[in-house]
Amino acid sequence: MVRIDFNCLRFLVIDDNAHTRRILRTLLHGFGTREVYEAEDGAAGLEVFTHYSPDIVITDWAMPIFDGLELTQMIRQLGANSNPYVPIIMLTGHSEKKRVIAARDTGITEFMAKPISAKALYQRILNIVMNPRPFIKTKTYFGPDRRRNVSPNYAGPERRKGGNADVIKQPPLLDKAEALARAP
Amino acid sequence: MTTKPSSPPAVTTFADHDLIVPPNPLKRAVVRDNPGEAAPDPVACAEQALFEISGDFSRWTESECQRLDAARRAVAGGFTDKTRDELFRAAHDIKGEAATFGFPLIEPVAASLCRLIEHSPDLARVPHTVIDQHVDGIIAIVHCNARGNSERKAQVPARRLRLVTEEFLQHENRHRPGYLDEEDAPKLVR
Repeated sequence: MVRIDFNCLRFLVIDDNAHTRRILRTLLHGFGTREVYEAEDGAAGLEVFTHYSPDIVITDWAMPIFDGLELTQMIRQLGANSNPYVPIIMLTGHSEKKRVIAARDTGITEFMAKPISAKALYQRILNIVMNPRPFIKTKTYFGPDRRRNVSPNYAGPERRKGGNADVIKQPPLLDKAEALARAP
Repeated sequence: MTTKPSSPPAVTTFADHDLIVPPNPLKRAVVRDNPGEAAPDPVACAEQALFEISGDFSRWTESECQRLDAARRAVAGGFTDKTRDELFRAAHDIKGEAATFGFPLIEPVAASLCRLIEHSPDLARVPHTVIDQHVDGIIAIVHCNARGNSERKAQVPARRLRLVTEEFLQHENRHRPGYLDEEDAPKLVR
């Protein structure tokens, strides 16, 4: 049986609401994680991120000083910090379509709408660890590949140009791990 | 242990974009159990951990209500950017936490208050009575300890407040055709 050893993962939780931070810390400890860093606004979150280099960042959207989108932009700046590829989960009560698209276009890895559930959080983390996506850099975007599915019928102006660039196949780590598990 | 990539990412350049495959330091967390040694279900463990702190949820909800009440009093003299943000955040936090804390009935009331603040083009025109009714409704439901979804007494005013808010927003946004339709687009994630 293949699983995640949460003891190996370190999280940074950024939320201005102390109750939400406590809920997230409780869930992460419940999964088996020992190291959970916390910050209550975007500026403090960036400082903790720079100092501790967590494996996964979980951030709120609306926060004082700078918000979750601005934080994501700062983390995703190439050359500005040690790990612009860090997975970022945005946890928010804003689940309207335009908000989700704005978060995606800023470079978040996973989006999770409140209310918080252990299952939903676990699924996001599982996806991050087992199915990492490649990053795409264009003139206007740097972040995880936003195309999770291939749409062969799409013929619009936003199709990428160049060779096989439209279809990026990244074998999920889960498949590899399960293949290893099945091997004699 | 850090996530700092140990080797440079593989970069493939195309006509209008680069495809970057960074090293995946998280793969160290993927482990295989020995046959017959299944680890406990992490989701069940996390739910149990949450249950163990659930005794605090009523107190936390009460403190969120006090914060909302203070924010409501702050806007009584008129909206500023600061008082508007605090009222919105207080309502928005309650909306997000309500189900987790065992008070799902306050979620639609808090959501209605959020919509009222977020989509009113001129907050000075929002009747304070409507804001008060939302805040008082949330506090009343919490004080009645109306947990669960079965409390009909709480559902009726919640629906009524939602209707009043929608009617007000439709009127206030009549010069912005399609604005509310766009805002009401289906939710993409759960």
